[in-house]
Parts: sequence; structure tokens; C-alpha cells
Amino acid sequence: MNDCCGTSPSVPETPPPNLDELPAAVSARPLSSRLPLVWILPAVVILVGAFVVIHEKLAQGISIEIRFHDAEDLEASKTKIRYKDVEIGEVTDIHVSKDRKDVIVTAEIHRDAKEYLVADTRFWVVRPEVSAAGVSGLGTLVSGAYISVDAGNSPERRRQFVGLEVPPIVTSDLPGREFVLHADELGSLGIGSRVFYRHINAGQVVGYSLDKAGTGVTIKVFINAPFDSYVTGDTRFWQASGIDMSINSDGVKLRTESLTAILEGGVAFQALPGNAAPAAVDTVFTLYNDEDRALRPLETEIRTFVMYFKGSLRGLSSGAPVELHGIAIGEVRSLDVEYDKELGTLHYPVQVDLYPQRIRGREWRRAPRPPSKDAPEASSRALVDSLVAHGLRAELKTGNLITGQKYVDMDMHPDAPAETIRWSDQPTEFPTVSNGLDDIQDSVGGIARKLNKVPFDQISYRLMSTLTTLEQTLKSTDQLMRHVDASVAPQVTATLAEAQAAMKNAKDLLAQDAPLQSDLGATLLQLSRAAKSVTALVDYLERHPESLLRGKPGDAP
Amino acid sequence: MQRPESRPIESAIAIAICALVLLILSNAYPLVVMHVNGASRETTLVGAALGMYVQNYTTLAALVLLTTVIAPFVQIIALLYLLIPLWRGRRAPGQSTVFRLLMWVRRWSFMEVFMLGSLVALVRLSNYTHVVPGVSLWSCALLMMSLSALSTVSSPEQFWVWAERCPR
Amino acid sequence: MSIPATGRSLGLVVCLECRSTVRAVRHLARPRCPRCYARLHERKPHSLAITTVLIVSAAVLYVPANLLPVMTTREIFEDEQDTIMSGVLELLHSGSWPIALLVFIASIVVPLLKIIALAVLLYSAWRRESRLRMQRTELYRLVEFIGRWSMLDIYAVSILATLVQVQSFANILIGWGAWSFGAVVVLTLIAARTFDERLLWDEPVRA
Repeated sequence: MNDCCGTSPSVPETPPPNLDELPAAVSARPLSSRLPLVWILPAVVILVGAFVVIHEKLAQGISIEIRFHDAEDLEASKTKIRYKDVEIGEVTDIHVSKDRKDVIVTAEIHRDAKEYLVADTRFWVVRPEVSAAGVSGLGTLVSGAYISVDAGNSPERRRQFVGLEVPPIVTSDLPGREFVLHADELGSLGIGSRVFYRHINAGQVVGYSLDKAGTGVTIKVFINAPFDSYVTGDTRFWQASGIDMSINSDGVKLRTESLTAILEGGVAFQALPGNAAPAAVDTVFTLYNDEDRALRPLETEIRTFVMYFKGSLRGLSSGAPVELHGIAIGEVRSLDVEYDKELGTLHYPVQVDLYPQRIRGREWRRAPRPPSKDAPEASSRALVDSLVAHGLRAELKTGNLITGQKYVDMDMHPDAPAETIRWSDQPTEFPTVSNGLDDIQDSVGGIARKLNKVPFDQISYRLMSTLTTLEQTLKSTDQLMRHVDASVAPQVTATLAEAQAAMKNAKDLLAQDAPLQSDLGATLLQLSRAAKSVTALVDYLERHPESLLRGKPGDAP
Repeated sequence: MQRPESRPIESAIAIAICALVLLILSNAYPLVVMHVNGASRETTLVGAALGMYVQNYTTLAALVLLTTVIAPFVQIIALLYLLIPLWRGRRAPGQSTVFRLLMWVRRWSFMEVFMLGSLVALVRLSNYTHVVPGVSLWSCALLMMSLSALSTVSSPEQFWVWAERCPR
Repeated sequence: MSIPATGRSLGLVVCLECRSTVRAVRHLARPRCPRCYARLHERKPHSLAITTVLIVSAAVLYVPANLLPVMTTREIFEDEQDTIMSGVLELLHSGSWPIALLVFIASIVVPLLKIIALAVLLYSAWRRESRLRMQRTELYRLVEFIGRWSMLDIYAVSILATLVQVQSFANILIGWGAWSFGAVVVLTLIAARTFDERLLWDEPVRA
């Protein structure tokens, strides 16, 4: 229909088209047949299904494999994986490895713990453990064992791990430092042995190995913070294992660190005054055998001498002290045997380390400053010479009568024979004296030798024969006596009776009032008078010898 | 005998596809996860049947497998096999055989009974363990519903109505 | 009242699979449905006999199904045996009585009812009872429908037995009761299939 509300100016006149040729309109297809509603249903289901699948995939953890020697205490779908006691996963499967040597434990780790799975992450099984170090992991008795994790810091990601068979001593994040100790032998130390600082547990032995040359043992220890700051350049480490019982010339000393150390072995350390700067990681220290040895200040001056002692060296051991009036100024280093071919004799040199500084040390202990540089060689020699000249000698003495431990005692012996040190000899010999006991020993030895010479055999043989003879003599004497008894005796008795009678007669004769007696008395009186006159005569004659010739004056015609 | 009113064939196909997706989901994920004593155990549909097989009850295992996994699966596939060509306007080869198979398999498809049975099992388990229903449980419920819808939508009569529309 | 013509009298057979009405051709040995090629039977062959055998077997197996343990729970210290009934009681004690009721009905009542119902149906088909035919047919439809629900307990056992295999807790072992029960369910299901409901409508043979 033409619109009669105005003309369209620029429409050209064209003939009207044939209506029949125009395509006919069609009715619009209902929405449902163009897009059947029913297809929404599978579409929705597929969408939801896809969503579920994606959700499950995202929620799924990361699968890792850990290799252990065996699957003891581990159970699939049960054993958990924990990091710092937080559950980060679970064991899903356990099966034996192809080479039958190990067990492969497959575990699923939560996605948010993904960052812990790096190259140096360690896994181990936590089980209840009872050891001398203590009881650990008791919680696992109830909950079952679990696998613990120590996450590493490597940037390299990893999905297959080799599990540790033994829990690591030190976890990566434990503050502290590692040091290296060198010792002759391991002693009773092992992995896990404690390191003590002033009897406080300060660290652990984390590993040990034999030196390449096999001459010693290298031990790695980890010292926890804050104790690691006490490990300075001047720190000394010593074996604190077990019961340190030393029997030396000082007597018996019993020292223990702690019960743990006794059972497990342990190391202790102490810093000597001096350098206070903390030692660097992996600094090498010497592991001494005991505290005394460790804390002994390093002698800056050591003079080695050799001493020859008379008598047995039994009881003297390496390490025995050399004392000067009770103060240790040296140490026995070694005992040797020397054979003199020419003389055919054996000598026993004792190598001794002396610390001359100790003698001087008494003075600077009062003034606490570090020792100054050594006096020149010559002056120290001079000191020794002077001492020796005054009689300083070394003597072997028994420190402990019970054990017989000996030590070297240096003392002034003014009456010792004079000696000088020949400094040119290497090693230099230090003069010694033998002690009284040695002399006694010598004399006793001499006596013994003499006694040895006595032919005890022959003597005893002779003795035997003498005794036999004596026995025979006694037997015959016995017979004689019996004979005497039997026959001689009565005669003797008779003789005795006669004698007795005679004696009686004599007695009668000689009785006081016996006439013989008075006669005898008168006779005696006369005799004595006569003697007197004779004596007077003699006297007169002595005085007047001429009277023999002349006669007595006064007595003249 | 009734004369069914004809429904569009697409609805049957659509429901069949839903059922197929749901069936795949139901078998891919576990039905339930049980937590007890720190251990966790789960099972899928096939796993439940295998659990009987492992205990040497082979016949029972086969029965469970047939009625809950094989029958629904064959049911859906057979129907799609028949209907898609029909939808395109052709007959599927071996139509009558597949049709009889479909009919037989439908009689042995007990998804709805399984749902109720699993419910009973869940209730019994939850009395002494911690039970978490899995994805499969929900998709099985939907599968059950879609299977029953499928049976209704593609009843034998309805099927032959569709089938006869197509040329031989 | 006139009896409606039976299919048979009209020479018609219904295909059981595809429900098409087919004209029977008597001389064919094994007639098949033209549409779906299914075997055609006016009445299922030996329906009564086979169904009877199946029902009797099911009845026999019903006893061990309920007496033998369906599952044995092996815990660390003890074994606990569960029959179907004890499972129901356990559910009852734990408070979920609706589920208990459900299991009771599905696992104990239903199979029994099926056996009894089919027995009744068999009897009436054999005797060609003409009363209550509609009801009987309804009964048959019901039996056919609810048969499958007895599988309930078997599915529950399968899930329980598969899940509860935890060393530190318990292991569930399936018992012969479950097998017998499965057999009962399958037998009754097949019996419901082999029974031809058309027999219910057959007229008694007039002597």
C-alpha cells in the first residue's frame, strides 16, 4: 500500500514485482525443536562431570616414591607422612622393588606441600625406639609408625627418594655448626654420641670415617646453637666416654661425664682462655683422650731428653709425669731398649719431654698475661746446666705402692756425683741417680748371688751324713749309759761312799776344836813368826847388805 | 495393550548420554571412603564386586558385577547403538538381536537396589567408623534415576514406534 | 456376562519382548516374532514345571540363607557372625530402625512372600482357578516388581566386605549364608520369569 502522507521524492518509477515469485514466509519453528530442551540435560551432566573430574584432579596430591630396605611398620592407606608433625601425605602403596633389594613405598603428598619435595629432602620412618640415648617415638605405639620428613633447600625438584634407614641426627633447619675432630681411635663413640659442654648436652656425633691412610679416625660433630659460639680456635675436645679411671702415680682417679656418656660414649669440650673468635664451620680439632690431656696448655717449648735408669722400668709408662718437687714439668714419652754390642749389655733409655717453661711458669701465673716469646736457646740451656751443676737429677720413684706406678722425680741431690750435659748428643742425656731402693736391690741381689754360690746341695748332703753318724753315736751312748747304769754305777756308788767316809774323817780332823786344828794352828803361828823374822832379816839385809859380813852393829862382842 | 504417545527420539538419546557420563563417573571414583584407626579404605563399584571375588565367592561377585556395572553399561550402549542410527534415519544392523539383548539386560539391571543396599552399608559402617561418601555415590544416585527414566522413555512399544518410522 | 475373547481363540499371540501382536501360524515349528525375532510362545513351555522346581529350590535354600552367617567380622580378639536377622537387629540397636525395617522387609519378608506368592499362583494356575484373577495377576506383577529388591542385602555385604579389611581393626569375611541368599533371589527372579501369567487366565478344562 502506498503511503499517502508524502511523496518519496527520489524513488524511481519501477514496475511492481510479481508477488508469486517472492518466497513465502514460513512459520517460525518452536524453540524446542530448534534446540531441543532435552539436550540441556546431557550438557549439564557433562559439565558437572567435567567439573568433578577437574576438582578431583586438583585435589589429588603428588605421587612420590621412597625406597626403604623393608616395609616394617608401614601400611598402605594408613601410614602418614609428616613434616614437623604436620600431616602432609599418606602412603598409598608398598611393593617390592624389581631388584628385590628394597621396597618401594608410593605416597601421595598434599598439593600444598609440593615445595618440600626437593633433591635434598630426607625421609625416614619414626618408630618407637628405646636406646641408651632415651626413649623416642612413643607416640607411634598408639598411632602407628609414620614417615617423617626433613625438607631440604635444594632448588631441584624430585619425586623419587631413597629413604634413610636411621633417623638423621641433625635436621637441616637445626641451628648450629659442624666441626671435624681427629682422633687415634673411635673409642666408644658412635653416631648419636653426645657432645657435652660443661656437662650440658650441646651436640652430637653425626658421622665418622677412617682416615685414608688408616692412621686415625675423623669424626664429625654437630654443635647446637648457642653452644657453637663457644667453639673457638682454642677449644679443646676430649673423649668423655665411659668411666675415666686413671691409675697413675697420683693415685686412682675416677671421672665420669654423665650416665648417658657412660652408656653411649661422648665427647666434651671446653674453650681455653685466649682466642674468643668462634671457629669456622668444619674446623679440624684434635680429640684428646681425656680432660687432663686436653686442657693442658700447649707447651711452646719442649725439650727432649733421654734418661737411663738403673733397675726395672716396670710401672713406668708413657705419659707418666716428670715432676720437680711435685710439680709436673714434663712427661715420659717412650721407653726403649738399647743393646750395646761391644759390651754385650742392655740399656733402657727413657725418652722424656721436659717443659722448661713450666719452671718459669710459676712467675707469670701471678701476672695473667700470655707468655712472652721464648728466651733464647742458650739461656735455657744455661738454666739447665746450672740446675744440673747444683745437683738436679732425675730419679725413678714409685708413686703408688698399690699399683706400682712409677714416675720420674727430679730433685736436687747435692751429693750426687758431678755430671754435665753433653748438649751435642742427640737426644741429650739427662743425668740420673738411682734411689736407695735400688741399692738395697743391688745388695740383696749380691747376697742372693752369694747365696746362690753356697753349695747347699753338698752341705745338705754332708749334714745328712753327719746327722746319721750322730744318730749312731747317740745310740751307742745310749747303750753305754745303760751299761754304766747297770754295772759302773754301783761301783761308783761304793767309791762315793768311801769318799764320803774319808771326807767325814777329814772333816773331823779339820774341825775347829779338833786337836789337829789346834795343833795346826800353833804350828802355823810359829811358822808365821818365823816368816816374820826372816822377813825382818831380809829387810835388814837389804838395807845393810854388809851386815852379812860384819854382822849386826850393836850385836858385837 | 496401549498405544503409547510418541516421544521424540532425541530425549531418549539425551538421557542415554547422561546415563553414560554418570556411569563413567560412578566407576571412576570411589563410592565411599572409610576412616578407622588412622587407616583409610575406599572402594569403587567394581571394587565391591571384586571384594567378593577375592574371598572366592565368584558367583556372587559375578552377580554383583553384572547387575551393577555390566547391565547398566550394556543397556546404555545397546540403546545408543539402536537409537542413534534411527535418529539419523537408518536401522542399526542386527537391530532385533540387539533389541532382545537390551530387553534382557534391562531385567538384570538393579542400580536402584544397589543404591539402597549401599545406603544400608553406609549406615552400618558409620556406627563404628568414620565414613565419607564419595563422588561415585552421588553419581550412582543420578545414574539410577536416569536409567529408570531411560526405561520409561524407551519402552519396547516406544522403541518399535521409532523403529518403524525408518525404512527397512 | 460374555467372556472376552482370548487372544488364543483369535489365533493371536503377543510377543513378550516387543509386545507386538502377531498372528500365530500354527504350522511353524519354532515361530518367531516378525519384528524382534524373539521366540513366540502361546504359553511358555513347561512353565508350571520349571517354575515349581525353581520355587522348591528357592524354598530349600531359604533355610540356610537365614541360618548360615552372611558375614563374619573378625576382630583382634573375637569373631562375630552375622546372619541376615542379626544384621537387622544390629541396625535396630544402633538406632536406625527405619533402615532396620527396610532390610527386614527386603531381605526376609520379600523372598518369603515371593516364594509363597508364586506357590499360590502356581497352584491357582495349575488348578485353573477362575476367581480373583485380576488380583492374582496383580500379585504376579507385584512379585515380578519387588523381586529385585531382595538383592539389597547382598550389595550391602559386598560393600562392607570390601571396605572392612583393616588389620588393626577388623576383617569382614563373607559367609555361605550370603551365597544361599543370592541363590534364593536369583531363583525367585527366574521363577517369576518362567511363570507365564497368561496361565492365570486360562479357563479350566471342562470335563
